[in-house]
Amino acid sequence: MSEKKKKIKYEPQFYPGTEKVSERRRKLMDPERRLVKLRDIPDDDIVQLLGHRAPGSLYTSVHPPLDEIMEPYDPIRDLVVPTPGAQAGDRIRFVQFTDSFWSPVIAPWLRARMYFNRFRGVDTVIYSGREILEMRERDVEAATRLLIETEVFDPARTALKGLTVHGHALRLDSDGLMFDARRRYVYDKELKEVVYIKDMHARVLDDPIPVGRPLSEEELNEMDVTYRWNLTPYKSRTELLLIITRATNFRILGGFKPDLIKGM
Amino acid sequence: MKYQDYVDIYSDKGKVLGENIPIEALSPLYNPYINKLLQIVKSTVFIDLAKLQRMLAKGQVGYTTSLRQDEVKTMHQLDLDLLGNAHAIADALEKKLHVYSFNGYEDDTLVKLFNDDQCLMVRVPTLRLAIATGRDVIFTNVGLLMAQIISDMFNITPDNNPDGCGLIKTALFGRYPQMKSFNPGNPLFGFLKLPQELEGMGRGYQGVTINHLVALANKRTLDAVALATIFEQGAQFEMGNAAGWYERYNLLGMAYQGLNANNLVVDFVKENREGTVGSVIRSLMQRALEDGVIRQKGDKYPNILFSGYKLYSTDDPSLWNAYACAGLLAAVIVNIGASRAAQGISAVLATFGDLLIFESGGLPDPDFGRIMGTGLGFAFYTHSIYGGAGPGAFQMDHVLIRHTSGFFTPCVAAGMCLDSGTQIFNPQATSSIFFKIRDVLPIFQNPLKQIAESAEQIKDKFR
Repeated sequence: MSEKKKKIKYEPQFYPGTEKVSERRRKLMDPERRLVKLRDIPDDDIVQLLGHRAPGSLYTSVHPPLDEIMEPYDPIRDLVVPTPGAQAGDRIRFVQFTDSFWSPVIAPWLRARMYFNRFRGVDTVIYSGREILEMRERDVEAATRLLIETEVFDPARTALKGLTVHGHALRLDSDGLMFDARRRYVYDKELKEVVYIKDMHARVLDDPIPVGRPLSEEELNEMDVTYRWNLTPYKSRTELLLIITRATNFRILGGFKPDLIKGM
Repeated sequence: MKYQDYVDIYSDKGKVLGENIPIEALSPLYNPYINKLLQIVKSTVFIDLAKLQRMLAKGQVGYTTSLRQDEVKTMHQLDLDLLGNAHAIADALEKKLHVYSFNGYEDDTLVKLFNDDQCLMVRVPTLRLAIATGRDVIFTNVGLLMAQIISDMFNITPDNNPDGCGLIKTALFGRYPQMKSFNPGNPLFGFLKLPQELEGMGRGYQGVTINHLVALANKRTLDAVALATIFEQGAQFEMGNAAGWYERYNLLGMAYQGLNANNLVVDFVKENREGTVGSVIRSLMQRALEDGVIRQKGDKYPNILFSGYKLYSTDDPSLWNAYACAGLLAAVIVNIGASRAAQGISAVLATFGDLLIFESGGLPDPDFGRIMGTGLGFAFYTHSIYGGAGPGAFQMDHVLIRHTSGFFTPCVAAGMCLDSGTQIFNPQATSSIFFKIRDVLPIFQNPLKQIAESAEQIKDKFR
């Protein structure tokens, strides 16, 4: 086993498909590709939207900084580099997004794929319309910045919802916003931007926080990540269907008897 | 020999421990170390004398919760100095338990005090196990003999103290047989759960709490992985899941994921020290291509799709699965090593397969999707409104996590080792006594080294 094998330059492929929905999925999953920044949100506003601590206050910790903990010897533990939040012993905090069913810029299942490619030290669970992301506090703040400021956030159809996450499958309101039973955000007609008047936990904010203009229907169509009849229809999923069929076939045959899938 | 597969076993520091080992020499059937460890696991039982004394003194028995254990308080107490008489109890127990060396069986009874003489470890002789159908004998005999010794030593009889007799029974056996099991945190306990609690055939060795293994490994990641793998594969062989078609499949998975064969896991972790789950997947693809485990299926359509997406194929699905399982473990280590918080284990287990399928052109994900299926349930029920316990508090045969070929719980054990104190159900809380048990049972120390050494001893028999 010890002879050296030839080095291969492996090119990651992330996802099959020729049309723009596949391309969009590939882009979000590929950590080498930068996400387009669409808006600027000040640090303090992100902290306030998350609502875990007051802006400027210290991070609460769940244990002392790693440098101060005596842990039994483990070479593997020494090998992996902890995130800044883990290093400092921050509490675990979360951010949760609900994505509308109506042409959102991202969807929960794609979030998981993106998080695991772009973030370190992630805990995330996929639900039908929402996705939670749990990390150490300063890590989750850094991640939230990316998730709100870039193209994976549409103020109208993706929303920060720490609780009462309902709204994914409901019709949009007259301003084109996703339904929110807690009315955390409203459309400011003068500013022409969506404004959060409550934080993620639906506690009223001292000052409203604008998060930018809703994306137009044309922009959303361009950025769509879902195959749908009116935009990128079923037929164009050929490559994807082929891969899914292949995977399912392998799972069933191989799961029955591993050698059945030899060379397939 | 049945299979032509050889591996090198490496330590967690990347040092070779054994070279050119046929995978069959690592099998629970043949590897002398694994044989012995499994034998010790099923024949050893413990009595926590300090706890027993406290329960008798307070009359707190028959509880049903694992944490406070104070919801039942009887009207009766027994103030007995068990700790002061620990040595006398140990001697008496050994005398009553031992057997003659007979019918080819040696008398291997062992009764030993540890943890400052507060805890009793009892190895039940093999002969007693050999004539039994299962391993109930370790609980029944040792518990009953202990009750007899207390009765003799402190003169407690139905005549002078009938309630005391009942109290001793309930302290040792909980509400069994009115209830199927002992109480959680019972002073009489073994490594594995009681046989009558098992929910399927051959799941015996899975009846261990993952945190116990983490404690037995003293939170050393790859040691905990190796121990979890031994328990899991012990069960796989018992339940017939590693027979025939699957034997090589399980042995390869066991070697590459559980025993760091060819240093695969450590290599992946090293390459992705500052990486993500996704980057581990790309390392896995690269390594599998370099080692010839998978190959590009062809160089034109339909093996390369119009988008340029390539299909891969494997001529050795069992080996590919072993590589994928090693990648899975490395991904858990890389993700949890970064956050140092064990709660993310389930998320990796749930998503790794999905990412791998789309990266590899549909090649099967670890354990042909069983990891992903199990992981999704594990993630769902350990998060959100469903709460659930921390990952380490699960027993390996829990209904949520038992559905794989033994490649799931080693990842959970690894993640628990890397947690730096964010879990309520941490090993210190749920399994503190097992840190002490590790000290008295050297067989649990350096499992990788011991497996490799004993495989070296027998490897020539497989040529």
